[in-house]
Amino acid sequence: MFFGVLMFSCDSDVDAGEFVVGADYLALKNKVISIDTVTINLSTIKLDSLVTSNESRILAGNYDDPLFGKVKANSYFQVSTTSFNLYSENSDTDATGYVFDSIAVILRYDDYYYADTTKVQTLNIHRVTKKFKPNVNDDSFYNNSALDYNDTSLGTITYRPKPIGRDSINVKLDNEFGLELFNKFKNNEITTSSEFTDYLKGFVLTSDSNASGSIVGFNLSSVLRLYYSRGKGGAEDFYTKDFTVLDATKQFNSISSDRAGTLINDLPLSKMSLSSSYTGNTGFIQSGTGIVCRVDFPNIRQLKFLSDKGAIVDAKLIMKPVKNSYSKLFPLPEKLSVYVVDKLNRIKTTLTNSSGESIVATLNNANDEFDENVNYQLSIGSFLQKEMLKESDSKSGLIFTLPSLSKVVDRVALGDQTKKESEMKLQIYYITY
Amino acid sequence: MKKSCPFLVLVFFSFFVSYSQSIATSPYSLYGLGSLYEANFGLIPSLGTAGIALPSDNFINNKNAASLVNIPANNFFFEVGGKGIQSSFEDNVKKENRNNFQFSHFAFAFPINSKSAVSVAMMPYSSSSFKISGLKIPILDSSNEYYYLNVMGTGGLNNLDFSYAYKVSSKLSFGLSASVLFGNTTDNRTYEINNSVTTIDKKVSYSGIRPILGSQFKMNESLTFGLNVKSPTRVNASKIQSVSVVNETGTSTLETDKKSDTDDFYLPLEVGVGFNKSFKNKINIAFDYEKRFWDATNQSDLYGNFSDQNKFALGLSYQKSKASRNYFDRIKYATGINYDTGYLEVDNKKIEDKNFSIGVSLPLDHLSSALFVSYTYGQKGQITNSLVQENYHKLTLNLNLDGIWFVKKKLE
Repeated sequence: MFFGVLMFSCDSDVDAGEFVVGADYLALKNKVISIDTVTINLSTIKLDSLVTSNESRILAGNYDDPLFGKVKANSYFQVSTTSFNLYSENSDTDATGYVFDSIAVILRYDDYYYADTTKVQTLNIHRVTKKFKPNVNDDSFYNNSALDYNDTSLGTITYRPKPIGRDSINVKLDNEFGLELFNKFKNNEITTSSEFTDYLKGFVLTSDSNASGSIVGFNLSSVLRLYYSRGKGGAEDFYTKDFTVLDATKQFNSISSDRAGTLINDLPLSKMSLSSSYTGNTGFIQSGTGIVCRVDFPNIRQLKFLSDKGAIVDAKLIMKPVKNSYSKLFPLPEKLSVYVVDKLNRIKTTLTNSSGESIVATLNNANDEFDENVNYQLSIGSFLQKEMLKESDSKSGLIFTLPSLSKVVDRVALGDQTKKESEMKLQIYYITY
Repeated sequence: MKKSCPFLVLVFFSFFVSYSQSIATSPYSLYGLGSLYEANFGLIPSLGTAGIALPSDNFINNKNAASLVNIPANNFFFEVGGKGIQSSFEDNVKKENRNNFQFSHFAFAFPINSKSAVSVAMMPYSSSSFKISGLKIPILDSSNEYYYLNVMGTGGLNNLDFSYAYKVSSKLSFGLSASVLFGNTTDNRTYEINNSVTTIDKKVSYSGIRPILGSQFKMNESLTFGLNVKSPTRVNASKIQSVSVVNETGTSTLETDKKSDTDDFYLPLEVGVGFNKSFKNKINIAFDYEKRFWDATNQSDLYGNFSDQNKFALGLSYQKSKASRNYFDRIKYATGINYDTGYLEVDNKKIEDKNFSIGVSLPLDHLSSALFVSYTYGQKGQITNSLVQENYHKLTLNLNLDGIWFVKKKLE
């Protein structure tokens, strides 16, 4: 009975854990250290080439970027149709009554634009004279791909892009070209799509002006439209025939930049990188042209010697865009993608969160009037812990790109560890155990 | 009945091991091997824990093995004890009560012949039981950054004592004990650092044997002196640790049940002296002084900061008549005070303990079987910025069963 009482009353206490004696002692066994002095190397890389076909965006225009040079986008696309006759309600013989009217390319805005859309922009449409066939042994076209085209412009438009307010732009093409195409159909000279693409291989939308403007995106519901009519005098019937971009793999953007006079004029081969110490303590990222940043932590392995047993539990990489490098015209991307790369800039893996999803560096600019806290933050604790423990000499680095590598031309310039007012920082939290 | 004795001992032993760790939490028990636990037998809790010079004539005196020679011939003492503690913890900000009831000890002792006796006792040695939630601690080398620590400590050490006592003469006796210490403490911590959580689970196992020498000298029928010397002892420690980190980029395991050596714990040299004086066979005064030489242990910082400890105990008891026919005359009343300078220093302040106790011994038969009821009120620590004051009410129930089996054996 005595023990019965004993056992009954055993677990009657509740401890909320609020009483502590000697916080110093508790911090003794496992030390938690903050380290912000680890060297970060920043460099810029020019990737060989980026696939721009099958991205479903026609990019065209040009602008001058104070940091990245003169950026230009030409877009190649092929149009086709599935029916190889003119409008026929009754019979083919009616075709003889049709009369060519005009021809135009209707470019429909998607929501993408970059740089100054208030500036007047001139676009030309040329006829491609070469077959749409990639040079290399895959089916892709790249940002540096090009096809021969006829020097004579079929149509031109000088306009102020209104990618948000308006729906589309209409580029009237040469009537002679239109009439010839009309007659091919009227006379049933083209009856298959291969006959059609042999005849009309495609178009290129070029931006030839020297003045800085913008680059604007159009979607693939853009069409080549043939206008014709039937009848004479007062009772005319008007018809149209649309040729659409049926094959997205036959549409690509050739994006180039002339970086003469910029800090990144002399970017080496893609296996190499150009240290930020040669480029104004700045690292450069630009989509479309394949310019990306590389970040390295050359001395991370020295943290191993801080303690017999120690681990990096968390690390925060804080990257600041260079002051005055961005504006309303050149807005900062919301996110930067990150890849783990080897010495030769070959992508090995991505950084992932606990559920296996790739993580990105996110822009942090909430209500900051003076731009002091505008930065990109990324958690790289696990990556650095692995790097710290690496026995071999195969150090990995991180490459930062925009989330979309090839269908935009957004860019950002990041300061390195010594860049005044835009210093890159690494905050490491380390525990001994 | 005789055969069932070892079995009963075994049952108690296993029961004890499983329950010895349900000891009241104390914020101080995160240091060292935990809070040291005082298991006191018989009436000793009522006497301010004074007992180095007390005889073992009506309960097993665990304070001095030399006293075992006083167990009457052919008697077999069996003792179990338990404690109920209500503590209130108080610091600058808050106050909190905790109740706990725990099994304290069990022991048996019997004389081998007219000159010697033995005993076996099992009791807790220490208890490491504490909880810390969301403690904010500055990060080293940082500018104003903090991390948050949660700790849950459990476990403790047990003490299994084997004692032998020998009567050199009618005045002088010696006792020798081997105190076997064993057990483990677990310490589960989580560190919330920036956006990461690090979990460190540690289990430390301890083992050691400590020799103890005791002696009692009877000047005359009414005055006895006692001496008790506990040797400095190394308690071997080894740990098993698991470490894992969870952060935004996943979970990584740094160690899984990794065994390693850790700093051993050193028990100090302890010297205790005491006397027991009786007046007219009715009133007894017992006084103990103990010194524990912690400074000399050079304890690892891992366990905290320890310094020499002094303990003073004074007890007074009254019993009208030991052999009276009147039950109430045979009840022994006792009271005592105790002052302990403590050995643990936190922020350069020692954790003192002072208490007052009263109690009775209620005879259960005409031998020495008795129920000992003691009440102690005490105070430990103080209220400062970093310390906590613990006020406790302690009720101790010890039961001594005497000679039952041997007597029956004789009747058979």
